Amino acid sequence: MHLLPLLLYAAAAAAYIAHFAWRDPRVGRLATGLLAGGVLAHTFLIGMQTVQGGHAPLVGTSAAISAFVWLLGLSYLYIELTADERSMGAFVSVLLVGLDVIPALDPVVTPRPPILQSRLFTVHVMSLLFAYASFALACVLGVTYALLFKEIKAKQLGFFYTRLPPLASLDVMNSRAITVGWIFLTNGVLVGGIWAWQVKGSPDPRVQAMSLADPKILVALVSWGIYSFALFARKAGGWSGRRAAYLSGIAFAVVLLNFVLVGYFLTASHNF
Amino acid sequence: MRLFAVGLSHRTAPVELRESVDFSRKGLEHALAELSSRGAGRELVVLSTCNRAEIYIVGDTDATPDHVGRFFSEYHEMPHDHVREHLYVHRGPHAARHLFRVAAGLDSLVVGEPQILGQVKAAYAVASDGQFTGALINRLFHSAFTVGKRVRSETGLGEGAVSVSYAAIALAKKIFGALKGRAVLILGAGEMAKLTGIHLQAQHVNQITIASRTLTTAQKLAAHLDGVAAAWDRIDQALSAADIVVTATGASEPVLTRARVGDAMRHRQNRPLFVIDIAVPRDVDPAVGQLDQVFLYNIDDLRTIVQENLARRGAELARAEAIVDQEVAKYTAWMQSREIVPTVVALRHRFEAIRRAELERLDSKLAGLPPDARARVDEVTRLIVEKLLLTPIEQLKAVSDEAMIVAYADALNRLFSLAEDKNRGDVESEVSS
Repeated sequence: MHLLPLLLYAAAAAAYIAHFAWRDPRVGRLATGLLAGGVLAHTFLIGMQTVQGGHAPLVGTSAAISAFVWLLGLSYLYIELTADERSMGAFVSVLLVGLDVIPALDPVVTPRPPILQSRLFTVHVMSLLFAYASFALACVLGVTYALLFKEIKAKQLGFFYTRLPPLASLDVMNSRAITVGWIFLTNGVLVGGIWAWQVKGSPDPRVQAMSLADPKILVALVSWGIYSFALFARKAGGWSGRRAAYLSGIAFAVVLLNFVLVGYFLTASHNF
Repeated sequence: MRLFAVGLSHRTAPVELRESVDFSRKGLEHALAELSSRGAGRELVVLSTCNRAEIYIVGDTDATPDHVGRFFSEYHEMPHDHVREHLYVHRGPHAARHLFRVAAGLDSLVVGEPQILGQVKAAYAVASDGQFTGALINRLFHSAFTVGKRVRSETGLGEGAVSVSYAAIALAKKIFGALKGRAVLILGAGEMAKLTGIHLQAQHVNQITIASRTLTTAQKLAAHLDGVAAAWDRIDQALSAADIVVTATGASEPVLTRARVGDAMRHRQNRPLFVIDIAVPRDVDPAVGQLDQVFLYNIDDLRTIVQENLARRGAELARAEAIVDQEVAKYTAWMQSREIVPTVVALRHRFEAIRRAELERLDSKLAGLPPDARARVDEVTRLIVEKLLLTPIEQLKAVSDEAMIVAYADALNRLFSLAEDKNRGDVESEVSS
């Protein structure tokens, strides 16, 4: 059962790529259908885990990545259906497959330790996951912007030129995604800080490790700094277009690094 | 009932003739009513664009095309000999193929142009509203719309601009999205500047500023394009405000240098700038293209794009023709199954009538049988008739040649003296089966 979403995401990715290359509308509809099926199967999976565990499966890196993939799939579907623009699907679905490999192969549901049984914890995790999903979309928009920009600049109008929406639309969507993501990131970090302050006296070694020196917290603040810069530099000093596109790619690389690598191997504080 | 397409197009007739047989001048309704009143055919559509004048008609005899051909000259009061040599006639499946190719833009002057599908739709709508259409034409035109849509969505036939002005506008749209609200600066006030300005104006750009070395010529063009004229020494301010710059001056030295544009870019906070240099010799230093967020295209770049697009359209032709083939096959099969259907229905009626007559004749002898045995007799006779007809009807429906269908229908009519009263409801159910 926990492999089904991954299989459907993979099939959707194949269909999205085929649709991107050959632009057969039937393949496009198939891709959307497969992705919707994947998200639905994923919803069932998370629902089952919630029923089994008695709480939403948000504890542990695997579960967090799974929830993130689910949120990203859902957000993307919403955008596709409202904007009637399918070309991003090829990029987003590949990201979904790449990330969902982790929870699909490591589907352990960690029981929620008593210290995490706080509403603040749920808000903290959900906010950050939503922020990451927005940043993932911003990254995809940035990558496609860079690809299209390169083609137009080099006067080699080819593959991407005929398939991607205009640069201005990609830039505007990128800006929106960053803004939404930044709001959730800020909220998530603040709520996390409040929660850490509340449980300060706990003897739990992980709580003891909650400090700026912890890699997870440090890198999270670094990414908050980068996104804050991206947001305000766009308003103030013309950091739009290609610069913004590159920035959203680099910033999401930092987010992924923190989410996956640091989450698994380096953090002492977020080791649940 | 036979389908014909009679007409002339840019392939067969010179422009003067095409202009003088324009049916839309007096309104298509008028032409349709006039042709209909002559009793030429039952179902009609008149298609009239600047590149073609065509009549699609369902007639009963082979004389129909002649009749329609005469209508072309008489309606426009021209000598028939003058028109006749330019007319073409397509019959049956060939007429369908012709219309499908027209709707797909395959028969257009610029292959793949998208306007023609809308024109075909409009022509059909007029005929349909005037109740000049019937089952054959309805199906024909809806199939043609399908072909047009499929060719547009499944092939790249209509993609890519095939003129320099459109190539520039397509590029601008790929950079800015809709051009509505964008600011345009045109340097130069010559013919090329004017032409590009007209194309941009059609995109509802926010404001067009025209700058020329002599202010009066700039003002003249500005009045024409509903824009504003700027003095030559105020180019730098206009450059900072513009999103799209078109240069078409007669200057022998570059007007826009890297330093000048770079300066403007600093004032515009890095917003993208699209520079279209259509002047020869060039007005813009090629180094301007190296600036971040500046897209520089000169006339040769645009010509190259047009050449590539034309080549790409050529490569998509085969795919478009394949779609036409598929839809022609579908339409032809449907038309032929319709043609044989009345005969099939009549044949069934005839056999059923014989069966009933025989059962009635034997009624007195069967009267002694118990009810279930009588039902068995009824059932058995019905099955025999059905089995007898099964193979012949299958064979009939498989006939694909039009002449053969007529021959078969004729033979069956004679052999079984099939009655003419063909029940319409039965015909419909046979078509759908």
